Amino acid sequence: MPWAQDVVAALKAAHVRFINYLPDAMGEQIFRIVREDPSFELLPLAREEEGVGVVCGQALGGVRGALVMPVSGLGNAINALASLAIPYKFALPMIIAHRGALGEFNQAQVAMGQAALDILAALRIPCIELKEEKDVPKLTEGALRLCYSSESPVAIMISTQVAGWKE
Amino acid sequence: MIERFEATRYVTSRLTDELVVASLGNPSVDLYNAKDRPRNFHLRNSMGMASSCALGLAMARPKEKVICLDGDGSLLMNLGSLATETVRSPKNLIHIVWDNRSYELTGKQPTATAFRTDLAKIAEGAGFAPDKVERVETMPAFRQAFDRAMGGDGPWFIHALVENNRAKPPRVPFSPAYLKHRFMIALGVEPG
Repeated sequence: MPWAQDVVAALKAAHVRFINYLPDAMGEQIFRIVREDPSFELLPLAREEEGVGVVCGQALGGVRGALVMPVSGLGNAINALASLAIPYKFALPMIIAHRGALGEFNQAQVAMGQAALDILAALRIPCIELKEEKDVPKLTEGALRLCYSSESPVAIMISTQVAGWKE
Repeated sequence: MIERFEATRYVTSRLTDELVVASLGNPSVDLYNAKDRPRNFHLRNSMGMASSCALGLAMARPKEKVICLDGDGSLLMNLGSLATETVRSPKNLIHIVWDNRSYELTGKQPTATAFRTDLAKIAEGAGFAPDKVERVETMPAFRQAFDRAMGGDGPWFIHALVENNRAKPPRVPFSPAYLKHRFMIALGVEPG
């Protein structure tokens, strides 16, 4: 998928090496490109909250990592974001696959998906939404620049508008 | 039974360039009072995140030993991190758990290890090599296990049964952002 190639290209240009993840169908579009590129290393997590700790540890050691997860995982990661990434000022890029929004078939995805942007706003975490294919390279590059210059978590939310929804 | 501060002092007495990540509360306060150094990183909250943070650090710094000082309550909150640690199995990781079988700081309420849970067995089940999992109840046994871990490839899991004492103050006086920057500067790493 072109959007996934653009996201991976931006991560590579920003010298992100570790892709720490919980999978979903959208994330797999990213992983299948990353697996073929030896400049990246993948770490499967058991829970998204771990990913916050892992990326912060990688940053402490001077290597950049990203957390790739479905939006439900944002809910699992909240306290680690609020008590670790934010107060310690860790640059933490989160690539989040948006469920529970446009085209959703599963009612149990909706509450978290709809609340996600408000939760990020309440934590003062900037959220850049990828909605149009043509904007993906610029927005992803810009979001990563903001993340590292501000030493803060930044969310890059991939909309079903660009990535498609589950049938 | 092991006295946790004495064991922490033994750990710090053996340190040169090693990197240490301490869980919130007693492990962190003991570490600060045993020996404060820029290569110590303290969690001030984020219960359960010490093991994940140490894993990320061990991945980023494969040539340096990374020592995680964890507690039973914290590890029980993030048991999945044991499985994730063994996915990568970083040779440079030493995961020590001070097990006092309680949430000591909040009133000594029992954790699951006060009943039937055995963290060393869980570590083995999570994928740590059985000969690199140590369950120790005395200071000589702890010293021996820690020396072995310092001298050989891991990942190591040291399950130390400790007395149920509150760490003596003072608490860690540094802000989170200062702790991060102090640590990164000591490693010669650019923040961001």
